[in-house]
Amino acid sequence: MRRIDLHPLPLRIWHWTNAGAVILLMATGLYLRLHGIASIKPHDPVLLWHKGIGLAMTIPALFWFLYTLLNPNQRRQYRMTGRDLKGIPVQARFYLFSIFSEGENPFPPSAENKYNPLQKTAYAAVMFVLIPVQVVTGLLFLDIPVLRDHLLAGNLMGLLGAIHVIFAYGLVLYLIVHLYMATLGDRFFSHTMGMIVGYEEQDNGMKEDKGSPTAAATSLDGERT
Amino acid sequence: MKPNGVPAGISVPRDGNTRLILPCTRRQVLIWGGVSITGWSVLSPFLVQGADRPLIIMEKAQGMVVADPVLCVGCGRCELACTEFNDGKASPSLSRIKVDRNLNSGARGATTWREGHGNFGDGLVVQDLCRQCPHPVPCASICPENAVILSPSAHTRVIDPERCTGCKVCLQACPWEMISYDPHSRKATKCHLCQGKPKCVEACPAGSLSYVAWRDLTGEIPPRNPNSSPLPPERALSCQECHLPGLPQNIRQTSAMMRQLLGGGKAVPERIGFKWIDLAGTVLIPLAIGSVLVHAVLRKVRKR
Repeated sequence: MRRIDLHPLPLRIWHWTNAGAVILLMATGLYLRLHGIASIKPHDPVLLWHKGIGLAMTIPALFWFLYTLLNPNQRRQYRMTGRDLKGIPVQARFYLFSIFSEGENPFPPSAENKYNPLQKTAYAAVMFVLIPVQVVTGLLFLDIPVLRDHLLAGNLMGLLGAIHVIFAYGLVLYLIVHLYMATLGDRFFSHTMGMIVGYEEQDNGMKEDKGSPTAAATSLDGERT
Repeated sequence: MKPNGVPAGISVPRDGNTRLILPCTRRQVLIWGGVSITGWSVLSPFLVQGADRPLIIMEKAQGMVVADPVLCVGCGRCELACTEFNDGKASPSLSRIKVDRNLNSGARGATTWREGHGNFGDGLVVQDLCRQCPHPVPCASICPENAVILSPSAHTRVIDPERCTGCKVCLQACPWEMISYDPHSRKATKCHLCQGKPKCVEACPAGSLSYVAWRDLTGEIPPRNPNSSPLPPERALSCQECHLPGLPQNIRQTSAMMRQLLGGGKAVPERIGFKWIDLAGTVLIPLAIGSVLVHAVLRKVRKR
């Protein structure tokens, strides 16, 4: 067994804060959407919760951005290289087919490369597109006096609402897959425990050079033939 | 009739005592009386007058008059203009815009003069105006003669003098007591925006009145008459044919959209709270959960 340090403490705290906020936002958002925002009173407690948690969530989101910008290791995790682009179909093939036949993960997590190419893409999409758009559209709903007239004059509220809802559905879809993928570790809760304690035990059957995509690709091909 | 002249249902005992024995005892009278009273009171919601009348759904008005109480000087020229145009005489009590009655103490009456509006309060005069209610229009729903009809000009609710019998039911039904009653013609009358050119607005010297596009103010302005209900509750149930409150309506509309998407089924009602976005969500999320579960099951099965 080999101990791999994956998640530094600030990121772990951020992850669980963010997770709690997002789940609460999803629950309250679902309530608001199901009842229809037109029939929700302005002082409805659920609406106030949604607003409050949304506002509170901007702080972890800002922290994450600052951390990712300032921490070189964290920044490297999101850098898409040519290898990553080529690795996307490899990784997709792994999840769709070879995972059933005991295939090895072509991009096993390591301290240098925590994420496989698909993970990188998904996380980047969530963190750089979905969450910022949700935060910005959510903030625009706050009836800010300067913006209010512009938004109403441009008839933009409907559009903003549609974007907010579409991206919320996107986040729900992401969450479903994320939760499932989190159970694909060695044991059911290995990845979850990893996110709590910061490291994961890895089987020593894994070779050191398995981390490189070329080796992974050849090993995959070898398995198939 | 029995042979000896005693009516049927009354038995004569064998001992020859001619005392009448009625077919029900006092106890039975009490029991059945109680049962029928209870029964009628239970059934009464279904027997309320007017519950069987069709629901009147009117198009929304195109305009309405709104007033700024700060600018109003209480001169009453709007009332004169109103009755001059509509009745050919100066009669503020008939006016469809009501300023006079709020002049001294405000809309909430004399008991509130100290803190209220009006000359005895803070001097603000609260004008009362017809809100041209969206359906259910309280006056139209209550009128037994269906005399409150939609005017072709500006789609206002107007009382047809041909049909009005002067029963004054609409006076009680209006939450803001905006219906006027003409004791000479014995007809009720109400604001119809003077065929889209309100004379009160033209007459106002203070610029307090303005004619604007219709907006639903019925939920925002508290009624003068809090006891008025636009619909009897059992009839209000039929409103849910079109507008269910929030959640059930959204669920119903989504299922209607699903049925439509799969072909067949009724067309989706025009006013939808749930949008196509949500339909996509309701398709995609179960799809995602389903595929994740299939993946998990396959992993389990293939690994064995």
